[in-house]
Amino acid sequence: MPGIAGKQSRDIQNLLNPEVLASLSNLELVARAAVHGFLNGLHRSPFFGFSQEFAEYKAYAEGDDPRFIDWNVYARTDRTYVKRYLGETNTRLVILLDSSASMGYGSGPVTKLQYAKFLAATLAYLAAQQHDAVGLIVFDEEVREHHPASSRLGKLSGILHAIDRASPGTGTNLKVPFEKFHQFERGKGLVVVISDFYCDPEAMIKGVQPLAYQGQDVALFQLLDPQELNPELRESALMEDMETGESMEVSPTFMRSRYRNKIQEHIETLHSSASGTGTDHVLVNTTDPLDIALRNYLLFRQGRR
Amino acid sequence: MSLLAPAFLFGLLAIGVPIWLHRLSSENPNRQPFSSVMFLEPGEPRRVIAKQLRYFLLFALRVGVLSLLTLVFAGVVLEGSLQNVLSETARLHVIVMDRSASMAHGNRWERAQAMADTIVDGLDDSDVVQVVAADRIIEVLVEPSLDRAPIRQAINAAEPTPFRVDYGQLMSSMDSLLRGAELPVVLHILTDTQQSSLPTRFADLAPRTSLELTVHNVSVSGEENWALDGLVWSALSGDLTANLRSYSEQDVERTVTLLLNGTEIAVENISIEAGQTAQVNFMDVELSAGANQVVAKLNPSDELSLDNERYLVVKQPIPRPILLVSSNNRDDASFFLTSALETLATQTYEIQRIFPTELANHSFENYVFVVIADAGALAENDSEVLSDFVESGGAVFMALSQRSAGLNFVPITGHSLSSFSQFRAEQGGFLAVGNMDSSHLVLRQLEGLRTAKFYRHIPVDIEPIDTVLMRLEDGSPLLIEHPKGQGRVMIFTSSLDREWNDLPLQPVFVPFMAQLSSYMAGDDRISIDAQLGSTLSSRAMGFSGGQIFAPDGERALGLAGAGAGDEVIVDQIGFYEVLASGQTEFVAVNIDAQESDVTPMPANGFIRWNELGSTPVETAEGGIAMIDDASTDLWPWILSLLLIVVIVESWVGNWHLRVRRGIAA
Repeated sequence: MPGIAGKQSRDIQNLLNPEVLASLSNLELVARAAVHGFLNGLHRSPFFGFSQEFAEYKAYAEGDDPRFIDWNVYARTDRTYVKRYLGETNTRLVILLDSSASMGYGSGPVTKLQYAKFLAATLAYLAAQQHDAVGLIVFDEEVREHHPASSRLGKLSGILHAIDRASPGTGTNLKVPFEKFHQFERGKGLVVVISDFYCDPEAMIKGVQPLAYQGQDVALFQLLDPQELNPELRESALMEDMETGESMEVSPTFMRSRYRNKIQEHIETLHSSASGTGTDHVLVNTTDPLDIALRNYLLFRQGRR
Repeated sequence: MSLLAPAFLFGLLAIGVPIWLHRLSSENPNRQPFSSVMFLEPGEPRRVIAKQLRYFLLFALRVGVLSLLTLVFAGVVLEGSLQNVLSETARLHVIVMDRSASMAHGNRWERAQAMADTIVDGLDDSDVVQVVAADRIIEVLVEPSLDRAPIRQAINAAEPTPFRVDYGQLMSSMDSLLRGAELPVVLHILTDTQQSSLPTRFADLAPRTSLELTVHNVSVSGEENWALDGLVWSALSGDLTANLRSYSEQDVERTVTLLLNGTEIAVENISIEAGQTAQVNFMDVELSAGANQVVAKLNPSDELSLDNERYLVVKQPIPRPILLVSSNNRDDASFFLTSALETLATQTYEIQRIFPTELANHSFENYVFVVIADAGALAENDSEVLSDFVESGGAVFMALSQRSAGLNFVPITGHSLSSFSQFRAEQGGFLAVGNMDSSHLVLRQLEGLRTAKFYRHIPVDIEPIDTVLMRLEDGSPLLIEHPKGQGRVMIFTSSLDREWNDLPLQPVFVPFMAQLSSYMAGDDRISIDAQLGSTLSSRAMGFSGGQIFAPDGERALGLAGAGAGDEVIVDQIGFYEVLASGQTEFVAVNIDAQESDVTPMPANGFIRWNELGSTPVETAEGGIAMIDDASTDLWPWILSLLLIVVIVESWVGNWHLRVRRGIAA
């Protein structure tokens, strides 16, 4: 039934389309649809299992739970080995969601903040499915919401509601969420920062470095609109900064050439700075399906393990 | 260049709208929200200028549209493609050609044209010429021009008309026409100096503006004319009478031919004495039913042919019934009334007699009017029946006779009668007719009524709405017209027999009864004619709408525009035909008899008229004047340009909108 399989695959891909997700009013439903769609897609992907699945054998040592001794192996080899499962490698995920005014920009039906909310909700849902503890910090110039990481049942719902409440605020200050993280998050884990990163890369790295030194694994998801990456302007226009209100009249020629170079340079600087501190940097176009970001997250998680 | 309606220039204020819009636009050029301007740089100046220039083009186009629209309404006129700067000696020569009917006499018109050409030939090249034709109105044939070709063309193309000219009106119109002329004016009037065209006051010939007047007389001594100046039909005798007049110093023999509905029915010879009038009677002309076209022709024709024919429309009335209410069929009143009405040669009416007692069961619908021989014979019920008849549009002629002596009120009308209701003159005495309205249709040309003797009558107290047409010497009303509802009642306060007066014995009794009957029946128009130059309206003839055809067979152009022939100016001699409601009426139009009089004004009068306008003409101030040679209305060109600009503006505006939509997307 290749026809039906192909159709199902297309339907799944549609489910991960941000425009389709935007039509779903409930953020939990969005996360559920995205995760399940993504997981279904993975059946034919090169990734191996990551939930309560077998991962490796380990020689039994004192203190190990004898219930996990693989007696079949013992029968063949006369040695005791213990099965280890992926589900046993639980971790903490803290999502830092930028809700500054610039995140409210969108040239299409989905703004950067909407996309960020889908991504954050999906990651939180995905992590909860893996029994990871999930935390959230929503920030702009200040910390707007803070949910410490927890794997307690019902925590996910509160996080999803907090994500849903996020709306474009004022300016961006990455120092504030990192300080907050330092203050309340003690254990090691994953830190995902979702932002457009309209800031000085060096200042941003200064905020990330302490986390990296602390042993946190940091992933930066930089969301940008297609008009920010490849702006199309037919005549001069007065561009107004959504955060500062500053206006500037720009020409189409500039936007077509020099601006693209500058934004690309900014992205590369950000990328190299992040690499320098062992931090992952992923550029996400807000028209891309959500699975690209999710796949990057899983690779990032797998790499950590 | 000038404007026909400069007030529309206020429309230019609308230009403020695009100015305001473009001011806003320049303040808010494509404002777009953007995530951050940290990677942006201000646009290059060249680009900004280019954008402003594009907006300026749109702005200029919009201003252009409004300006052109304003100019279209303001009516821009380009004055004179050949505007000329004239010398100090330049004059405006206005040549007025009298083209009244009398100018068609002999060679008068040719002489006037030759004289006009001579005047034009004698002018300086710098002189400006204007040609005007005059009859009942003033018509400018050529506007002031330096070009002699259109002047000569207009002079040669003009022709006399059947209208009359009045020199007083002519001078007054010329004053209006020449008021405000920028050049010194020399007025040339080419006319036959017809005495009958002179105004009542000689002073009316004087021009009121400063100009040099030259009257050119185109008539020559010894010119003579004979005219048919009247054609009358007598309803009493049934005769047609043609009146002839001589404007000559010699006696002549002429023949008058009578045509009835296009057929020659009689020819009469007549001798006309010098300067006298003569009449030709055509006896017992048998008219056809309805309207008859009668033409009288004078033979041989003379040098002014327009007045050698006379037109008349006579309607042969269809006999219609009159109801005579009398208590005695053999009384004097009935006898005299019947005799008088039947004496009319035209046999207009048929008289039916009934007794007053038959009134209640009688229908009045078919009667043109009702005659009550003695109001006193009517019962109260009869009075009510007749009252209803009158109020619905009927007419009643009622005499107060012997049986009315005992009444306190006049039946039908309710007039109160004086306490001494029966007046008796002194023994052997009588009262004659005192005041009478001779202009009224009933009493017109009936002065013979004054010979009648009235021995008795019943004084009636008149009401404010009454019209007393005839009174006795003592002031008592004798004939009273009383309107009632849609109809009318005519009360004769004496009897119609020989008992109370001798009117029935007088010769005037028959025409009196004829005119009274005609008036009561509403056929006061037996013959229909219209004056040349007057307005002919089918509504005035009792029709609603309809078409009017001129004597030449063409449909007459209505005053309300082409096709609306309800009201037309009568400008041709002959029979006009009015078609409406399935009926045809004819209207006779004749030349004004005054135009037949070709006698010129006295020589001293002619000299004095010329002297009235001998004011030395002054040179125009500044010595230079601009004269309109030809005015060109520019609105079609402006409108075409406006359409082009609108299209370009739409295209440019749409392009701007498209660009904006592209940015937003």
